[in-house]
Amino acid sequence: MSVVILGAAGFLGVNLVERLLADGAAPRCVRRRRTNVLHLRALGAQMVEAELHDAEALARALDRAELVYHLAGHYPRFSNDPAATLATGLTELEVVLGAAAKAKVGRMIFVSSTATVAGHPFRPSTELDVYLQAPGLGVYHDLKWSLEARALAEDRFPVTVVCPGACLGPWDLRNGTSSVLLQFARREAPEYPEGNVSWVDVRDVALGLSRLGEITPPERRLVLVAKSEAMSHLGARVAERYGVEPRPPLEAEVARQRADLEEARARAGGPRPNMARELVDLIVHGPRIDAEWSRAQLGLGYRSFDDTLEAYEGWARRMNLIARPLVVAQERWG
Amino acid sequence: MQEPQSVQKVILEIVAELSTSRPQQIKDTDRLREDLGLDSVSSMEMLSMLAERLDLDVSLEEAMQVNTVGEVIALSERRLGKA
Repeated sequence: MSVVILGAAGFLGVNLVERLLADGAAPRCVRRRRTNVLHLRALGAQMVEAELHDAEALARALDRAELVYHLAGHYPRFSNDPAATLATGLTELEVVLGAAAKAKVGRMIFVSSTATVAGHPFRPSTELDVYLQAPGLGVYHDLKWSLEARALAEDRFPVTVVCPGACLGPWDLRNGTSSVLLQFARREAPEYPEGNVSWVDVRDVALGLSRLGEITPPERRLVLVAKSEAMSHLGARVAERYGVEPRPPLEAEVARQRADLEEARARAGGPRPNMARELVDLIVHGPRIDAEWSRAQLGLGYRSFDDTLEAYEGWARRMNLIARPLVVAQERWG
Repeated sequence: MQEPQSVQKVILEIVAELSTSRPQQIKDTDRLREDLGLDSVSSMEMLSMLAERLDLDVSLEEAMQVNTVGEVIALSERRLGKA
């Protein structure tokens, strides 16, 4: 089967490439000119250059692919311009969908986010819980809802949407969802608000995507989450591992203000925020999620948080992201 | 195989493309982050572009150890068998 991956150089993309190569597939990896492909080169992955606004180059890259994984949905670096963010995301997606139709692709798996999973007042949310309109919970939520709605409206070829939770594990070079883990590992007590985190090991998401490529599920939307937990509970577990005293959770509004301040500094040339605004919004508004249906459909057995942290820490040490030697608590938690 | 002079020229061109500095302003001692304003992601992009332009075999682990322009040049020349 001819497989193409858009966004192959990203966090999830690299893990998916590793998974597909291990499965014996030879995916064509579409990459931007300016991106980090050192690991894809080391893997010997086949690469094709195309920008997301270049319809002709994309159509050539996608030519007659039987399966396209679209992992390159717009991820806004900043949250201060919602209109421009939505316009960029939707324009890029429209170009990709048009190119895929022109290239006569067989099928697309579009990777979205649990930001699109609506809360339910009486039970954990499932694949069935969808916002009827953009939820208005932040730029990231509205962008992901808009992209997902557009992808599901596509009628020129079949599209399945996958909503992974907060991905943790190796190859998070942009220090996104792993930023809290990294701060704890560096013996810095991070700040975060209270709320629900629906986490999942990125390698399990890659496995789920690989298996989804082999079946056509009865529903067009799947949610991949290992477990939903309170952020304070999750933070306490990581703090114990690294012998750090966790801080009490921030009030939601305080967390938003801190995140906006860090973002403003980053826009002015400062370091990337430790507490990104979208992560604050995702935690504060995060519903509890039951993803058992998707797990059963794909035959997944999710890794434990302990296993995920072990893998992340080992990788982060190799990458020199954790510089100082650590004294890890002897007692492990499951 | 590229000559050392051209290797350095390619490196300075790529650094200049990703930073606000002009090639002639960039010194070997410049730190990628503090002096040239490249964050960790941009630094990786720079080394990746360099590896592709010069067909270097550079691992991410090695790339993560690099802090200055001089270290980029030294790594490239090692990979090209010049040092």
